Amino acid sequence: MKASNELKVGIAIILSAVAFILGVRFFEDIPLFKGTYDLYTVYDDARGMIVGNAVRISGVDVGSVQEVSLDPETNKVKVRIRLDKQYIVKEGAYTEITGIDALNAVQMVIHQGPPDNPPVNDGDFLPNRIANDLFTSLTESAPGLISRSDSVLVGLDGTITDIGELVQPGSDLRRMFSSFRSSADAIEQLLSEERVRIGRVLANVDTLTTALGETTQGAGDSLAIATQQLNELLRRVDENLAALENTTNTLDSILGKIDQGEGTVGLLINDPALYHQMDSTLENMNALFLDIKENPVRYMRALRLFDIL
Amino acid sequence: MIRTENLHKTFNDNPVLRGVDLEIEDGETFAIIGRSGSGKSVLMKHLIGLIKPSEGRVLIDGVDINTLPYRELRRVRQQFGVLFQGSALFDSMSAFENVAFPLKTFTEKSEKEIEEEVNRCLTMVELPEVGPLMPSELSGGMKKRVGLARAISLRPQYIFYDEPNTGLDPETSNTIDDLISDLAERLKVTSIIVTHDMHSVLSIADRAGFIHKGKLHWVGTVDEMHRSDNNILLDFVKANEYQIGRPKR
Amino acid sequence: MPVGPAGMLNPVRALGRYSLLMFQAFGSLHELSIYRKNLFDQMVKIGIESIPIVALTAAFSGAVTTVQTAYQLTSPLYPKSLIGSIVAPSMILELGAVVTAFILTGRVGARIAAELGTMRVTEQIDALEAMGLNSVGYLIIPRVLAGVIMFPVLYISAVLVGIGGGIIVADLGGWLEAAEFIDGAREFFNPFDPVFGCIKSLVFGFVITSISCFKGYYTRGGAEGVGRSTTESAVTSCVFILLADLLLAVTLL
Repeated sequence: MKASNELKVGIAIILSAVAFILGVRFFEDIPLFKGTYDLYTVYDDARGMIVGNAVRISGVDVGSVQEVSLDPETNKVKVRIRLDKQYIVKEGAYTEITGIDALNAVQMVIHQGPPDNPPVNDGDFLPNRIANDLFTSLTESAPGLISRSDSVLVGLDGTITDIGELVQPGSDLRRMFSSFRSSADAIEQLLSEERVRIGRVLANVDTLTTALGETTQGAGDSLAIATQQLNELLRRVDENLAALENTTNTLDSILGKIDQGEGTVGLLINDPALYHQMDSTLENMNALFLDIKENPVRYMRALRLFDIL
Repeated sequence: MIRTENLHKTFNDNPVLRGVDLEIEDGETFAIIGRSGSGKSVLMKHLIGLIKPSEGRVLIDGVDINTLPYRELRRVRQQFGVLFQGSALFDSMSAFENVAFPLKTFTEKSEKEIEEEVNRCLTMVELPEVGPLMPSELSGGMKKRVGLARAISLRPQYIFYDEPNTGLDPETSNTIDDLISDLAERLKVTSIIVTHDMHSVLSIADRAGFIHKGKLHWVGTVDEMHRSDNNILLDFVKANEYQIGRPKR
Repeated sequence: MPVGPAGMLNPVRALGRYSLLMFQAFGSLHELSIYRKNLFDQMVKIGIESIPIVALTAAFSGAVTTVQTAYQLTSPLYPKSLIGSIVAPSMILELGAVVTAFILTGRVGARIAAELGTMRVTEQIDALEAMGLNSVGYLIIPRVLAGVIMFPVLYISAVLVGIGGGIIVADLGGWLEAAEFIDGAREFFNPFDPVFGCIKSLVFGFVITSISCFKGYYTRGGAEGVGRSTTESAVTSCVFILLADLLLAVTLL
């Protein structure tokens, strides 16, 4: 009687302890008997990630978030995730939080490293990349874009000013003029082509921002900031392009003056070395313009963001 | 030896005992008699330490049990055997288990020794066969006797009987009386009987104490009781004999 | 018992007596070896023998919660797995522990109160004391410990059966697939929840068994007194379960 009671109680307690552990593992989406391993990553912004959120590789659930803790000193968020052992993460992988924050439905995505890399180990750190959240991308790329186009245009401006200074003496003007002319045409053409392109891009952005404004009212603030920054960017691009046009006009007028035989053209003719120097400068510039024309992407890389759209 | 000194007990402003001085010698059979509600059961519970007095002392072998730590008090109580009014058998245990219970709890005896001891006690109360029965299957008289077997299982020095004859037919009542005097003789114990049944008092007690209105109104030997000129006592004794109306043995 | 203004102190007095009784009971824990057999008896009576009724109740509360949640979530905007996300945490956090507690207030609490009450009025408690046993420890410790140990066990079985009941009804009733239900449950699963539920059931186990022991132990006045103690223990236990539930939710969640 005594032993059988003790046996019954013992069995009940053991069974429920086992049920508890297996149940928790089951609902945590951890395989009941297979092993697991933990990785961690650090974010500036956890975007509402909570314990239990899914972790995915290529859209497949491979584990779940175990712990989200805020470091009070750095204000960074350390996230520990637990993955099923059958899924191997390669070195070079990085994590990303995706999903819609406002709906509280976020998840972590692991982008695999190169397939030839060794696998990461239990307890390793995975770097992260801020997700392709539209607002974030816009606001972060905009300043870069502006400085890039600034530098390209300022450089161009400088070159042309230099040319203006060089154009004092001259010989074989016809050749020089034709070079100049074609260069100017190239610039002109490039500008008009890019104008169209930029106009199209702007139209796209406009539609997009309207659409975004409609769909995500909750994110109004960040959208407003993004749009404002975008406007600023575009205004500055426009300004710079205008400056470029201005410069070309100046160039044109200088060339016109040379054409008329005014000023110090004689000096230019009397100094062949200077002439050659200028000639090669102009050719370089020509090559530059041709390059810009052929590979606008390289120079307008900052505009790449619009390619996504 | 059991002694009380100036024992008072008040329940919710209602005095039940108002100064009882009592002495019970070792080896004697002492009857505490009195009407219902006179406080005799309360007095007995004081002697066992189940109720703490409002005032006064209870001395068991010279030790005031109410100043003892609980653990010491429990040790003193292990010298007691108590037969309660309703026999107070544990419903969840068989008769055998009831008798074995104190042995299992307080002794290091083996299962076999316990079994022998239980059978000895059950035989002593003339019920050797009821071991496997549950209390609900026993008659009132059998319950009392099993309760008595349980009370003596630890070979106590003092046995307290609370109304041992209540609710029993005269014949069974006589059997219980016989058992009480038999046990007193064979086990050489001090017996304290709380009763209003004068018949058993006269047949088994050496001395008696009459409790009236919370006081020990009269105390003396059974022989002295008849010669007493205490009217209240005599009224009680006579009323009792008439009401019961059964022949003296 | 005093009535009138002095009577207002009765609950305070009762609390004091209850605390002293528990103090006395746990003061005799060192004698646990004497209570061992009783402890296992009580664990079987309080725990194991309650499993069927607890499972039955849990299965029905899980099923009913599922059906009613499905009934309320008619908007196609919500994924159906949301039913699982609602039912599973409800069972784990609240229903598993509280429904179990209420059932056991009737099944276990009333039994303890009636048992101890009867032992009191038939002088069995006096008999234990007169033998030299610590009746408080002997009667209360095994029951309270059995409650504290076995209630989490009952809670776990209630949650399992309850969620199982929910899944079965959802699946058979055509509301959603078992896999969807489980997906939903996993989506919002927090491993602290079942731990919290266990703590809750442990506290409820203590509340029910200790209150019914208290009421039973201090029973007065024969059969009627036993009946009164039983009723009081059930009512008081229910009130204190609700209080403890709130208190735990406020402090631990």
